[in-house]
Amino acid sequence: MTDVSITDFTYQYPKSETKVLNNLNLTFKHNHFSLLSGPSGSGKSTLLYFIAGLYPRFIGNDATGTIKFGQTNLKDIPLNQISRQVAMMFQNPNQQFAMDTVIHEMTFVLENIRTEPAKMDAIIDQALTFCGIQQLKSRIINTLSGGEKQRVALACIVAMDTPVIVLDEPFASIDPGSRIDLIHKLKELQEKHGKTIILADHDLGNYQGIIDEFYYLDPKSHRINLLNQQEAQHFFDNFESTQTINKQLNLPPKTDAQSILKLRDFKLSPHDSLLLKLDHFNFYKQKTTLITGANGIGKSTLFNALTKLLPYTGTILYTDKNIKKIKPLNYAKNVTLLFQDAENQFLNVTVKEELDLSFANRFNQDYTHEQVEQMLTKLDMQGRDDQVVYSLSEGQKKKLQIVEMLIMNPPVLLLDEPFKGLDYKSLRLITGFLETAKTKYGQTQIVISHQLSGLEDLIDYHAHFENQNLTYQGVI
Amino acid sequence: MENKTQTSNHQHQSKWTLRNIILIALIAIFCGIIFWGIGFLYTALTVALTPIGAAPFANDILMGLWCMAGPLTGFLIRTAGSAFLGEFLGAAVEVFLGGQWGAGAFISGLVQGVGSELGFTLTGYKRYDWVSLNASILTTVIVTFAWDMYKNGYNKFALPLLIGLFVTRYISTFIFGGILTKMIVKLLDRSNAFSL
Amino acid sequence: MNPGMKLLLVVLIALEISFTQSLIVNVILIAVSFAYVMVKRMNFKTLFLLVFWPLFPALGLFVSQWLYGSAGIHFAWVLFTRIYAYVFLGATFTLTSSITDLSLTLEQDFRLPSKFAYGVLAAFNLMPKIREEVQIIKTSALMRGEVFHVWSPRLYFKAILSSIQWSQNLAEAMTSHGFVEDEPRTHYKVIRITALDWTVFIVLLIAVQVMLFLIRY
Repeated sequence: MTDVSITDFTYQYPKSETKVLNNLNLTFKHNHFSLLSGPSGSGKSTLLYFIAGLYPRFIGNDATGTIKFGQTNLKDIPLNQISRQVAMMFQNPNQQFAMDTVIHEMTFVLENIRTEPAKMDAIIDQALTFCGIQQLKSRIINTLSGGEKQRVALACIVAMDTPVIVLDEPFASIDPGSRIDLIHKLKELQEKHGKTIILADHDLGNYQGIIDEFYYLDPKSHRINLLNQQEAQHFFDNFESTQTINKQLNLPPKTDAQSILKLRDFKLSPHDSLLLKLDHFNFYKQKTTLITGANGIGKSTLFNALTKLLPYTGTILYTDKNIKKIKPLNYAKNVTLLFQDAENQFLNVTVKEELDLSFANRFNQDYTHEQVEQMLTKLDMQGRDDQVVYSLSEGQKKKLQIVEMLIMNPPVLLLDEPFKGLDYKSLRLITGFLETAKTKYGQTQIVISHQLSGLEDLIDYHAHFENQNLTYQGVI
Repeated sequence: MENKTQTSNHQHQSKWTLRNIILIALIAIFCGIIFWGIGFLYTALTVALTPIGAAPFANDILMGLWCMAGPLTGFLIRTAGSAFLGEFLGAAVEVFLGGQWGAGAFISGLVQGVGSELGFTLTGYKRYDWVSLNASILTTVIVTFAWDMYKNGYNKFALPLLIGLFVTRYISTFIFGGILTKMIVKLLDRSNAFSL
Repeated sequence: MNPGMKLLLVVLIALEISFTQSLIVNVILIAVSFAYVMVKRMNFKTLFLLVFWPLFPALGLFVSQWLYGSAGIHFAWVLFTRIYAYVFLGATFTLTSSITDLSLTLEQDFRLPSKFAYGVLAAFNLMPKIREEVQIIKTSALMRGEVFHVWSPRLYFKAILSSIQWSQNLAEAMTSHGFVEDEPRTHYKVIRITALDWTVFIVLLIAVQVMLFLIRY
């Protein structure tokens, strides 16, 4: 029996005031599928890293309290035995493989746990078959999609055959088909192979009826509660209701007259698999266009093409000029991306330096210093001048990033999941700022967002990404 | 540049952990890829200088860039051998990217690696400041120059030309391996990048 | 041939001809290496690039030596052919060996600690992502109105920040995949240095010594 029991467990990051995990007492039961939910950045990952034996090894300080696997304290398990007990699947599919191909990675894993070479072929074939990816065996991992990479990650875990499997937001960037499939595979591992599954996810889709236990990490108390049937149902219903907002919208005009970005005979196929094909598509000036679509379908990839980060075939015209003929700096000033990862936007060290950079390099003088100061105050970001941007919380990074790009005030702003990790109040403030940028300064905005509630007033048009196509919809 | 030991939040010695090895390799590859982009600049300089027989200057003007990964990794990961590994891997990347030097880059990598490492050896892997960085620059310039005496036939040049090349190389290495490295380290220190 | 032995041989020969001045031996090395990569089937474009890019540094060295060198035209030609000898010797390794196999033999036969073999290999396997990252850093700078050059400290600053994050992620992932530093591992693909490898290595190395001794021009 390998119950994972956590006793009097408290952790706080070095140099941080708050206890991100505060006196936890709970048991993830043997042979159960446990879901751990809670807002992003609330400390779910941290707990999982401790359970997987990666912390404190890979972090500056230790936690207090104990984690036990069955009767054994995790700390008493020698390093070379931990991976016989627990394996982990990570959020970022790109940085979890050491080797070039799938088969090399899987042999690497088995060599690490000192499997006899003669037995490896059978184990690998079995694991690949279980995950339904025999055809990927000799493929180069770098050329796989996010969904395929996570299946490979699962195959590695299946090959390791550990009693406990820990997964940290493993579906954040993969397509819904892979997501559903992987959730069912995990269920099968639990039911038919007796595994204990602990999975952290803030997205509650597809778990109902599958999971055995629903834990919630409360961001205020920093404690974890086991929810009863009724409470769990409440969370599921709540999540469901945020998935649509049922608002009627106009369709854009049929003419090209008001368009600012035009895609013609456009084809996007990274790694030779077609993601998007658009013969004739326009984005419209001084409008906010929302792009929706499943994870991993290619929305961010489209933004990468629009910002010349990725090659494409066909033509993209910005104000009737082929973007390939516009000088890089000039184009970047006109069509700017608000990166999904806020850190990508930062070039300097402190908050003040970041803001000063935007003021120094902005393309117009539309915002006064007072206006910016007001925005920061409203967002509760005032007085942080000397703080290092990389030490801000995820939500604070996002707010700073948005303010500095508002200061830049480019004619076209692409926003990739701009509201991720923001509380509702900040979201409403920011949609207000964006509304001003559009109506007062004529900005065109194209938004990718899973978060829909709260955006009703901002959105003018809605384009849905499906079946390698992007089509305008009359409703959100 | 001030000559004081202000540099760092991470006063501890580093160890050869898996993570540090990957880190050195990643920094080296980043440097290799960034420099690879200026391969054409080197070629252009060479073409421009060839008619007057001054092509070796192209090599010496850009030497500092090619020798940057060493001081950088040596300074950031504070343990014996890190500068050597960083510099060598930086050069090896060029080989695999299809650079124009072939096996020569491996050897240059070894020589440059020894050059940058020596500076940190001389300061006993104890101090990581402007002094040890300068020691590394000095040893890099001397070792690589000695190597080019043979490899690129510098030993057949007259003294004035030799001095010209040496000074060029020193300035280049000082700017990239010294000043630029120092500026990068300062940014990293200010942002507490290493206090994970 | 065992990739580790091959690399060692190539580096030893390249090192040696850096100090010798035999034009003919350089040409022979180029010819033999060229024949070797042709047998291993190289495409025409790779070959063209292999000849084209080194032309500039080779010519540059040649002209300067010819104009200012004290050793005359023969030495200029030695330097010219030396560049090409490096390139083709290098090609015999890079075009025909895999980095993965090199890591395996370094771990198994050359007693390199596995954390070096696999740590460096893992980083190399991220090379395509690193290229993309450099592009993202440069583009995001443009979007803030800044142009990054090879001498911009912040370009390296951002690259190192990514390196720190990625090295942490990779090390954690490898650890979670059962890798433990300095612990014994089993080996699925056993790479040995065979008697044939030794023979080829010694014979070729001696052949080069003999040639260098006999052929002084």
